Amino acid sequence: MRFADAVEFSLAGLRKRKLRTFLTASGVTIGIGALVSMISFGKGMQKNVTKAFNASGLFNTLMVLPAGPDPASGDPDDRPRPAAPRPGRSGPALDDAAVAEIARIPGVRLAYPDINIPALIGLEGEEEFRLIRVVPAAVAASRAVQVKWGRAYASDDEKGVIVSRTLVRRLGAGDPAAAVGKTLRVKSVSLDFGRLVAFALGGARSGQGLPLAEGAYDFPIVGVSDIQAFGGGPGLGSNDVLIPPGPARGIERLPITSVWDLFRMSGGRPGYSAVSATLGSLRDLEPVRSRVREMGFSTFALADEFAEVTRTFYVMDMILAAVGMIAIVVAALGIVNTMVMSILERFREIGVMKAVGAGDGDIRRIFFFESGAIGFLGGAAGCVLGWVTSLLINRVANLYLAGLGMPYVDYFAFPIWLFLGAAAFSLLVSLVSGIYPARRAARVDPVVALRHD
Amino acid sequence: MNPRPIVRTASLGKTYLVGNVRVAALEDVTMEVGEGRFVAVTGVSGSGKSTLLNLLGGLDTPSAGTIEVDGALISAMDREALARYRRFGAGMVFQSFNLIMARTALENVELPLIFANVDKKERRRRAADLLERVGLSQRAHHRPAELSGGEQQRVAVARALANGPRILLADEPTGNLDSRTAAEIVGLLAGLNRDRGLTVVMVSHEEGLVREFAHDIVRLRDGRVVSAEGRP
Repeated sequence: MRFADAVEFSLAGLRKRKLRTFLTASGVTIGIGALVSMISFGKGMQKNVTKAFNASGLFNTLMVLPAGPDPASGDPDDRPRPAAPRPGRSGPALDDAAVAEIARIPGVRLAYPDINIPALIGLEGEEEFRLIRVVPAAVAASRAVQVKWGRAYASDDEKGVIVSRTLVRRLGAGDPAAAVGKTLRVKSVSLDFGRLVAFALGGARSGQGLPLAEGAYDFPIVGVSDIQAFGGGPGLGSNDVLIPPGPARGIERLPITSVWDLFRMSGGRPGYSAVSATLGSLRDLEPVRSRVREMGFSTFALADEFAEVTRTFYVMDMILAAVGMIAIVVAALGIVNTMVMSILERFREIGVMKAVGAGDGDIRRIFFFESGAIGFLGGAAGCVLGWVTSLLINRVANLYLAGLGMPYVDYFAFPIWLFLGAAAFSLLVSLVSGIYPARRAARVDPVVALRHD
Repeated sequence: MNPRPIVRTASLGKTYLVGNVRVAALEDVTMEVGEGRFVAVTGVSGSGKSTLLNLLGGLDTPSAGTIEVDGALISAMDREALARYRRFGAGMVFQSFNLIMARTALENVELPLIFANVDKKERRRRAADLLERVGLSQRAHHRPAELSGGEQQRVAVARALANGPRILLADEPTGNLDSRTAAEIVGLLAGLNRDRGLTVVMVSHEEGLVREFAHDIVRLRDGRVVSAEGRP
């Protein structure tokens, strides 16, 4: 029997039972559709996060941390620490002198301490609590901060702040362009030593509350940064208020911004909790890192962490694919069921074909192709279904998120291999599903089949 | 003088397992079919006629004994060789026609040619020729449901001849037909036998129907040959 004849036989068989073919193929369509949209979602997320990582400019940044147990390090094996600063956890202080020294290492373009000032931010009456990030003008002007309305502050001493579009919205000023030039009121809290004494003596019993003093400062908004999808990666995009170092010095603040700071400070060691070193290029990472370690600090580079992120996405892809696979397995069982039913129905026809000279191989091929055709048709339709569904979900999600002021993002990615792979996979699954029915059809005894009514 | 035997069986036996009981459908059948002869196999229902024909047609395999057709030992063939034998060596016609209902008369006749890898154009041509030979040219594009019983059996005969077999095996081909149509079909088979020298083995429980045309009559009872008569 020729290939073309076997295909024709198979299609004729399917045409004869249109509804059942349609229903069985629909199972495959749904399974492949689910798989396609799941994987395209995973790929879309990966693409967006990679883009955000790239946009954040943090690939070129080396974080310098005081030596000691390092909470930010995801993979301690990667970073053998120098033996010297280990004892007593008393490495060198990450102070201004250290920052200056790091800045002098060849390959380092800029080094600046990570300072976050907790403050109440007010704009036209509305107030929210935020961490103000101190960022040098050079960084604020880089692509790590995407100022869309207004401009970045020009110097480290300019009295002006950059706020995020999210914050502008939260504070009730709808149009980000109009927010430029308005005044942002920053209320910081600092320890009031007078009240601290009273608090220590009277404690909570006196009902005075914490011994904190408030200070208010006004800054003009010079620029508004656009919201970046996925928070712009773990970069500066997640900070709602950026301030240059000059005016930041004038803000009195609580020296505690995190539990980690509290922990470290209780050791009585002064210095910054972290310093960011911007590198000229990623090639400088290794020499700079080893130099910084020699100074007795530990380091953390996002470039290393990105490998971890990639691995995480790989796992995510696997999980999404596994969910899609459940539908595929169900569809495959549907094919087996349909094909076995078809054999029972066409029992006599199989006998007739054998009586006029069909070999086992001919019968096997007819049924095998039939099952393959179901898978191929279902798979092709599944690609379309997955694509359309994804576009719809993307549309609805963006419509909803646009209401929250988020920029448009393609949450799904459709690489061509996804469609080709899905169609091929569907064909493969259906062919595998067809193995048992096809063998069973080929084994039909013509004498029994012809006696059968 | 006797013609060269084209079919030869020796001590042929077939037993079936019905539940746990072994039932002998055919026992110790030794017979010959001469080339170009019209042989009638008669007997009451259950006498083993159909079993014998299925064995000769390569649809079934014997439990004992041997079958030789045109020098080939059918009884020793594997599944694939048997399929080839059914395709080219022997054509079969059944009581219930066994046409594929979804296909037209022409397509039914084409069926054996498809399994013989004949290309489409040639297939069409040969199938049309065969239908003409059984007098059904004008019904070629009708489906079996639109044909009378006699017409359906003619299609089945044309199909059996598609790959030019040396022998034609007919299992009660007239069983589902009225007597006039039955006579027509027997006449058709006899004509093929007479004009083309086709060897025909026809099973019938009605000896009277085949008496006129059969060269040899083999009578079966309880799976055994009880008598055989032949005329030159």
